[in-house]
Amino acid sequence: MVGISVKRSKSLLIEEYITRLETGAALLDNSPQNLIEVVGILKSYGVVLDAYSINLCYIANTQFLKLFPVFKYFNGKVNPDTLAKFIWHDRINYEYAEYCMKSMFWHGGGGLDAYLDTPEFATQADKLIREYHKYNPLMLALHQAFKDFLPEQMRQMSYYSALGQFWRVMSDMFLDLSDSYDRGQITSIPDVVEFILDALVANAARPITYTVKRGDHRFEILPKSAGLTFLADTAVPYVEAIFFRGTPFPGTVSYNAQAYEIPYDLGMFNYGALYADPLPIGGAGIPPTLLMQDMRHFLPDYLRQLYERKSIRGLGDIRVQICESFQKSMFCVTTAAIKGLAPHPLDTEDPEQKLANRKYLTGWLNRILESQLIKVNGKTRNQLTAKLS
Amino acid sequence: MLSALILIPFVSAGIIGLISLKGNAPRNIAIITAVSVLVINLILAFQFDYQQESFQFVEDISWIEWIGLNYHLGIDGLSFPLVLLNSFLTLIAIYSTSSTIQRPRLYYAMLLLLSGGAAGAFLAQDLLLFFLFYELEIVPLYFLIAIWGGARRGYAAMKFLLYTALSGILVLASFLGLVWVTKASSFDYLSLRSPTLPLATQLLLLAPLLIGIFIKIPIFPFHTWLPDAHVEASTPISVLLAGVLLKLGTYAMLRFAVGLFLDGWVYLAPWLAILASISALYGASCAIAQKDMKKVVAYSSIAHMAYILLAASATTRLSMTAAVFQMVSHGLISAFLFLLVGMVYQKTGSRDVDVLRGLLNPEKGLPVTGGLMILGVMASSGLPGMVGFISEFLVFRGSFPIFPIPTLLCLVGTGLTAVYFLLVINKVFFGRLTEGLAQLPPVKWNEHVPAFVLLLLIITFGIKPDWVTHWSEVQAIALLTGG
Amino acid sequence: MTDFLLENFWVIPIYSLVGAIITLPWSLGIIRQTGPRPAAYINILMTVVGFVHSSIIFNLIWARPARQFIFHWLQVADLDLTLSFELSPVSFGALEVVTGISLLVQIYALGYMEKDWSLARFFSLMGFFETALAGIALSDSLLLSYCLLEALTLSTYLLVGFWYAQPLVVTAARDAFLTKRVGDIILLMAIVALSSYGEGLNFSQLETWVNGNQLEPTIAAFLGLALIAGPIGKCAQFPLNLWLDEAMEGPNPAGIMRNSIVVSAGAFVLIKLEPATTLSPISAHALIIVGTVTAIGTSLMAIAQIDIKRALSHSTSAYMGLVFIAVGLRQVDIAFLLLFSHAIAKALLFMSAGSVILTTSNQNVTEMGGLWSRMPATSLSFLTGAAGLIAFSPLGIFWTYHRWFSGSWDVDWWLLLIVMFVNVFSAINLTRLFRVIFLGKPQVKTRRAPEVPWQMSVPMVSLIVVTLITPIAPLQWPLWLSPNSPLSLEQPGLVAQYATPLLLASGALGCIIGSTIKVRKAWSRSSNLTLRFFQDLFAYDFYIDKLYAITVIAAVSNLAKLASWVDRYVIDGVVNLVSLATIFSSNALKYNTSGQSQFYITTMVVAVGLLLWSMINGQWSMVTSYWSSIM
Repeated sequence: MVGISVKRSKSLLIEEYITRLETGAALLDNSPQNLIEVVGILKSYGVVLDAYSINLCYIANTQFLKLFPVFKYFNGKVNPDTLAKFIWHDRINYEYAEYCMKSMFWHGGGGLDAYLDTPEFATQADKLIREYHKYNPLMLALHQAFKDFLPEQMRQMSYYSALGQFWRVMSDMFLDLSDSYDRGQITSIPDVVEFILDALVANAARPITYTVKRGDHRFEILPKSAGLTFLADTAVPYVEAIFFRGTPFPGTVSYNAQAYEIPYDLGMFNYGALYADPLPIGGAGIPPTLLMQDMRHFLPDYLRQLYERKSIRGLGDIRVQICESFQKSMFCVTTAAIKGLAPHPLDTEDPEQKLANRKYLTGWLNRILESQLIKVNGKTRNQLTAKLS
Repeated sequence: MLSALILIPFVSAGIIGLISLKGNAPRNIAIITAVSVLVINLILAFQFDYQQESFQFVEDISWIEWIGLNYHLGIDGLSFPLVLLNSFLTLIAIYSTSSTIQRPRLYYAMLLLLSGGAAGAFLAQDLLLFFLFYELEIVPLYFLIAIWGGARRGYAAMKFLLYTALSGILVLASFLGLVWVTKASSFDYLSLRSPTLPLATQLLLLAPLLIGIFIKIPIFPFHTWLPDAHVEASTPISVLLAGVLLKLGTYAMLRFAVGLFLDGWVYLAPWLAILASISALYGASCAIAQKDMKKVVAYSSIAHMAYILLAASATTRLSMTAAVFQMVSHGLISAFLFLLVGMVYQKTGSRDVDVLRGLLNPEKGLPVTGGLMILGVMASSGLPGMVGFISEFLVFRGSFPIFPIPTLLCLVGTGLTAVYFLLVINKVFFGRLTEGLAQLPPVKWNEHVPAFVLLLLIITFGIKPDWVTHWSEVQAIALLTGG
Repeated sequence: MTDFLLENFWVIPIYSLVGAIITLPWSLGIIRQTGPRPAAYINILMTVVGFVHSSIIFNLIWARPARQFIFHWLQVADLDLTLSFELSPVSFGALEVVTGISLLVQIYALGYMEKDWSLARFFSLMGFFETALAGIALSDSLLLSYCLLEALTLSTYLLVGFWYAQPLVVTAARDAFLTKRVGDIILLMAIVALSSYGEGLNFSQLETWVNGNQLEPTIAAFLGLALIAGPIGKCAQFPLNLWLDEAMEGPNPAGIMRNSIVVSAGAFVLIKLEPATTLSPISAHALIIVGTVTAIGTSLMAIAQIDIKRALSHSTSAYMGLVFIAVGLRQVDIAFLLLFSHAIAKALLFMSAGSVILTTSNQNVTEMGGLWSRMPATSLSFLTGAAGLIAFSPLGIFWTYHRWFSGSWDVDWWLLLIVMFVNVFSAINLTRLFRVIFLGKPQVKTRRAPEVPWQMSVPMVSLIVVTLITPIAPLQWPLWLSPNSPLSLEQPGLVAQYATPLLLASGALGCIIGSTIKVRKAWSRSSNLTLRFFQDLFAYDFYIDKLYAITVIAAVSNLAKLASWVDRYVIDGVVNLVSLATIFSSNALKYNTSGQSQFYITTMVVAVGLLLWSMINGQWSMVTSYWSSIM
């Protein structure tokens, strides 16, 4: 099956997937096992995102401009117990959240990125820095000498906060999805997509703001007046930066400049979650391992049992299995995002609208079909045929 | 006491082979046997006096008087390390045998016969008795390859049989000639050592003996049976073949070729040293071009066994000790490597370096096997801290004053070891795991026990080499004094 | 207490080894539920312990004469192998540098490698690395140093191969190991020979032996050449220099170690070997030639590199080339000072490079720019590190050069020219890099570049301070190690008078050229064909790798193929032909698939019985006739 679908020309494939989307299906094939994997993994992802989101917001709100944020992962709870857990590394890997934040910050895009270069932001940040280091002439001198050092840190903090707020919504959404599934309201992959789409639409206009307090002063780093919203200024850049572009993993791609393996144009980056190869997960130089490791602690029982059955190694290669499921679930989220951002409803009958939709979809699919999607769907079909025969 | 080392395996082999046992019984009996032999050996080790030149724990029973065959056993510093190695590797081989092996009774019986036969050959102090055991061990090994081997097992086993049988005949011819020339009344080793023969006679007797031994070791150009035998043999058999049975050849070389015909040996030594360096370089060169991991290890064996010939040909006090040390060292390292290659083969179904890829993958690959393999490769290429370095260093240091050029050539061979093994490691373990290998069964920790034990010994003796050299030092040097 | 610490100084290298072993449960995957960071903390802790221990001893023995401690490792036959350690200000100074940089690097790695789940393996390798380096610092025995150099080769292989799944890493790790191994094996040959000539293999014995030796000049020359082969490999000198470039595929923290103290370890051994390597004028000249060729060649290579790590690593080879020249001239003190000044400054440069790489996810300098105002620690590190390497600013290297040409050494114009050459090109290279990385307009990959977290910036800032105080070493160095140090020449030559101004001028010239030349931006190339030709020639290391491919590598692989072919078709063929008849005639021995185990055992018993019986009856004619029939 895989061989055939790969051989088929790309335009035919795009055609096939456009039809799928227009008829209400998702990018990911619908199968019972896919459903279990997607919902189960989103449940544990929801739990992990909850922790990430709390921590990102905590760092943004309390650890800004600190030179030594030693306890930034403690969420303010520093006691012997949390210290011991920290030292034993028995904790959520918040490094991964920061990694996503940094990728998003680095790739930019959207209104948030643009706002950080405005004079309004610069004035607020400068005020905050002068207030924060009021009694520290050394830092003020450094600020004079290296004008962008601390403002750049505040830009990064804005991204901490924005991603924290974005993940807040996503976490709640995924946990709700899991609850609905447990209640029997979700029975297919298109249902999952529909659920996510509804939640995205409901939150689309949610404002993204960032205010810090220093003494009695409040500094509106990202004021409401900037008009930053959930969908356009966090969700879309997030999908672009994390799902599609990503950053090359040192464990699989050479950074050697003379090898020219990494493109100059960030638009040509395809190291994101949808493209990543799940097999090297767990190895050296593969940052998403951290996320998979975090999720392994929160898997629902039904999914854990599935993994134990599915692999010859049982839970021995669970992180790779989690990654495979995770990729599937991300295709569902991507489907929802594509549907949500479409110029017109996808099931429209109006030929003009349909044409506009097609143009829009072709753009997306050109990129998506380069990802692991074909492989993932190929595997599902293989499983089905194996079951049937 | 020494008879027990031979009799216990033989009796157990009889029990396993002739009484019909069910389930795990044959394996358990074999393990118990191997453990008890090892325990006896360890007891002997504590009583063994390594300062003593003569044989210890001697048992001497007249057997067939009119042809001069005596059941004469004894150990000295030359044979005891090998006896110990044999019992240890036998246990390792039995332990690492798959518990679902076909025809377990026959298999374990053969394995024990093999082990008992090898022990007998090391212990025998009578030339004819040595020959008997030397021949005896061929038969079970033939069956072990011919029945439980790979696809071309028939060919490999027959080749092995023919070569080693020929080797035996040549050795026997030399022994008979010696007895005939000296008009000795028996085949007793010690009594045959004393008389000094004219050089020409020595050379005449030494020639067949040497060819016989070179087949067994094996030395270029008599080696072609070995890669085939290794490739077709199952993992535990390869372990024994490389670890113990090849040592019969080098042991016979030191004990009989050097021990009985010292003048002739010294006369031939320059040529032998050259042959050793050719064999070492030839083995290494062939290893580079191999695609089968097991063949690489097999050719590497040829190269490393040649160092023993180099050391023996130098006949310095140091080189003789080094030769024994190198036997032990090669026994441990090659056994280690064969175990690991066997593990890769068992899990992936392939040993082809062009097929295997990325096995270090921590989730779906064989990371621990890979890590051990890297260490094994380093040990084999003489990395300090492991036994391969110091044994080879002593070989080279012992041989250099006599044969500088062959020694330097052998050192180049050591350098090539790193080349061929690193190519294997990089191809097989590095890189991205291929899709075809994404569903490998896991390796349980207990499957790695033999490898870890061997590694421990390899490192321990690498750091404390005197724990090995002390055993054989006195005796190895005594070989040069002509009794 | 201090006595106890002093007596047990030999445990210092072992601390980090213990750390490495403790991390096994994580690196072997026994602990899977929780993360690997405890392994990192343990290793850092062990390094701190080692650093404190060595600091205490360093203070105690400062300005005391050296002492040797000898362990009898192995006595066998007439050979007595001893391992000896040296307790001296020099060895402990080196140990301080090793443990100090290693400590900083490990803290740095905590930040740099924070997203890597194989952290435990990384830190255990670093621990192993440190053990070998610390051992080399203390070792007074050629054999021990050799063993530790080999351990370095192994750990370099494993560290370069850390990201084992990345295709270029696979070849890089292999090449690093094999290249170094070539040097090591030749060195081993020399050790075997030295030991056979009755030498005790301790550095202190070496000197006495050299003074009283009666070796033939040819043998002495070969011996000397073989002895320098090991350091040539370790210090990435021509023709074994390419591995360092490739080794840049490995993680940057290991790269910091490699470019500062690992290459220095090789040079350190070379310096210790100096009496023997300069025994023959041929090998002394070889040192100078190798050093010169490398210094000039790699200086040229460095300026054409567009990869930030490679541009710096080629410069490492160039400075090591100067060390080789100094050793060849028997000016050991200068060699030490060069090593020290270079190690500190280069470590700092590499730390800065690492933080740029982490922040911008990029190593291509043509895609960088404008980082200055946003990354103070990183840019100041680069600036200070560069200043430490260019004889223009009054930091380490300047004072070292100054000491070299101040009139107390027998120096010549050609040497000054080489040093000036290296200085000019080093200045061009570093100024050029500073410009394209930190100045100018930000490009798309450097648009958002927040400064790195404290785990990385604290080591950088600490090392900035260290770099600023390194001039103390060349200024205060007592110059008592070199065998032929005329402490003051009667009449300092013209060279000495003009050297310092000329060196300063060369540094200035380099900086000026570096800050004015046109630099490549973002994958664009000059259209001038001559320029492009030279750019490529230098950038691809004079195509030395291609040269290897068609010479050594081709020779070995063709020889291997030939041997394998001969083995299969000639030797095996002949044998098979001979035994073809045998196989037919011995069909009876082929095992019978339908048989039972008893059958085999019976066969065997019968066979052995027959053998015995035939012997007892003296019926050898039967056996011999059988065999003669088949042969």
